[in-house]
Amino acid sequence: MGALLTDRLPGGAQPVLQARTGRAAVGGDAFDSGMWPLHREAHLGPGAPWRQDPAVMVLAPLSAEDSAHVPFVIDATALAGPVGRIVVTIDYSPFSKALTFHPGRALPFLGFGVKYETAGALRASVQAGPDQIWHVGAAYVSALGGGCSAPAVSHARPDWQRGFGEMRARLWPDSGRLRLCIRHPQDTGLADGIPAHHLTSLALHDAQGAEIARLDLHEPVEENPSFTFLLPPHLAAEPVTLHAQDTMGNRLSGRVEPST
Amino acid sequence: MTGFRSLTRRSLVAGAAAATALALPRAVAQAQPRGYDLLPQEVAAGLWMITGAPESFARSNGGAIVNIVLLASAEGAIIIDTGSTARMGAEIRAFADQRLGGVARVINTHHHPDHWFGNIAFADRPILALPATGDLCRRSAPDYAASLYALLGPWMAGTTPTPPGQRIESDELVIGGRTLRLLALSGHSAADLVVQDVQTGVLIAGDLLFLDRAPSFPDADVARWLRALDRLAGLETSGVVPGHGPFHRSGAALAQTRQYLELTRDRLDQAAALGLSPVEAMAAGPAPAFRALGANPEEYIRTVAQRWADHERTALPVIGGL
Ligand SMILES: [Zn+2]
Repeated sequence: MGALLTDRLPGGAQPVLQARTGRAAVGGDAFDSGMWPLHREAHLGPGAPWRQDPAVMVLAPLSAEDSAHVPFVIDATALAGPVGRIVVTIDYSPFSKALTFHPGRALPFLGFGVKYETAGALRASVQAGPDQIWHVGAAYVSALGGGCSAPAVSHARPDWQRGFGEMRARLWPDSGRLRLCIRHPQDTGLADGIPAHHLTSLALHDAQGAEIARLDLHEPVEENPSFTFLLPPHLAAEPVTLHAQDTMGNRLSGRVEPST
Repeated sequence: MTGFRSLTRRSLVAGAAAATALALPRAVAQAQPRGYDLLPQEVAAGLWMITGAPESFARSNGGAIVNIVLLASAEGAIIIDTGSTARMGAEIRAFADQRLGGVARVINTHHHPDHWFGNIAFADRPILALPATGDLCRRSAPDYAASLYALLGPWMAGTTPTPPGQRIESDELVIGGRTLRLLALSGHSAADLVVQDVQTGVLIAGDLLFLDRAPSFPDADVARWLRALDRLAGLETSGVVPGHGPFHRSGAALAQTRQYLELTRDRLDQAAALGLSPVEAMAAGPAPAFRALGANPEEYIRTVAQRWADHERTALPVIGGL
C-alpha cells in the first residue's frame, strides 16, 4: 500500500478500500473521456504528453457521505524520477481545478478534502520522470451534489469569525507525516449573497526558513480544510513553519514541532 | 350508462397497462418493485414485530431495513416506527386494519428517515414523538427525501415526508388498556425515545440498540450514547426489540452496541493520534471483530466521514492562526 499508514490499525493490512486503475478509476468509461480532454488542454497545457499510470494512486471512498467534504489521498511515491507539479482536477465541477501541489523537498504524497457537485472522477496529474510527462491516476466518487453551491455551514453559526484562521497540526518524525487543519469558510461565491473567500496558497518551510513544499489552492477545497503531507526523515525531525494566504489578503501562520 | 362507460374506460386502461407490461423488456419489468410482503411475527403477547434486513438502504431491500412494532390494544394497534417509504407504511397499516382492529396511535422513536417516512400511510391518525424529534423531522425532511429517492428510486413512489404532529411530554401513555413507559434519551440522535410495554416487559429501544448490524452514527454523540446504554442496562426487561437486528431475550444488543461504540471511538482516536488521514482510517476498515457485521464496511466508512473531525480535533494541538 505504498506510503499509506492503513496497516497501523488492527486489521488494516487487509484494506476494505483500494485504489482503482483504468476504467474503474473513472467510473466505467474509457479513461480518456468526459471532461478530461478539455481539462487536460486547459490545466496541463495544449498537447501536453500524458499517460494513465497505476503508479499514481488516488484513494477515496466509493461514494460521498457528505458532498461538502470528500476526502482523498494521492500517493505518487511509487513513480520513478523527479516529480514536478501535481495538478488535481475534478471531472464534473463548476471549478475544474482543485489545487496544484509542488512537493519540492517533500514526498509526492498529499491528503486533502474537496467539495463535490455531482458524481465524477477526481484526477491527479503528476509531472514526473526525466522527460517530465504527465502520469495520471483517478478515483471516481458517486455524490448527490450540492457540495459546491451550498453555503459554508460556518455562516450559519453566529461565532464563525471567532476561530477564523486557527491552525491545528502535528508532525510525526517516525512516519514523516504532517497533518494540518485550518479554520476557514472556503466560500465559493456560488451561494447567494456570500462573496468568494478562500485560501489561495499554503507553504511549508524548514527550520532555516527555506521552502519545503507549496500548494496553490482553489475553490473546490472543503470548508475548514485539512491536509496530509509526507516529509523525508531529516525534515520531519525539525520544526516546520506553515504560511497560508486567502483571497481577502489574510495571512495565517503557524509552527509545528516534531512530536510522537 | 355512466357505469357502463366507466367500466369501458377501466378496461381500456387495464388493456393499455397489460400491453405496456408485455412491451417492457424482461429486466425492466423485474426491476419494478412489487411490494415488501412484510411478515409481522408475534414475539410476545399482543406484540408484533417486523424485522428489517440487517443492511444499508439499497434497491435490493427497498429500504425495509428497520424494525417495526405493532402493539395490540382495545382501541387498535399502537405502531412504533413506520419504515422508509409510503409503500412500507401502507403494508403495516393493512396488517393493523385486518388483524388488530385498526390504528390507535403511531409513535416515531427518532428522526432518521427509515423510522418515519412511512408516516404518510397514517396521516389521518395521531402521530407522536418527542418534541425535538418533530422539529428534526421537519428540518431534515428535504435532504432525506432527496437521498432516499436517489437510493431507492421507484420504491419511494408516493412518499411525502409526514412529520409527527403530536408531542410526547409525559413518561407514560395508556392507550386502549395498554400501558407504555416512555424514556427520553439521546446519543444516537439528539432525541431517542425508548418505549417499554408494561404488559409484556418488552423494551422497544429504537436505534440506541443494534444487534448483528453495524450502528449508524450520522448524529451520534458517543459519550451520551454510552450514558444512555447505562440507563437501559438498569431496566428490568423480558425481551428487546433493537432498532435494527433480531428480537432477543438476552443482553446481546446492549453488550454488542456498547462494544461497537467503544472500539470504533478508540479506533478513530488511535488513527488520528497516529497521523492517518480520514481516507486511510476508512480504508483500514472496521475493528476486526465487527468486519462481518451487517451493513459493514459501508456503515463504518460513513462513520469515519461523519465523525472524523471530532476525533482529529483532540489529536491536533493549535499551532498558529491569523
Ligand atoms: Zn437512527
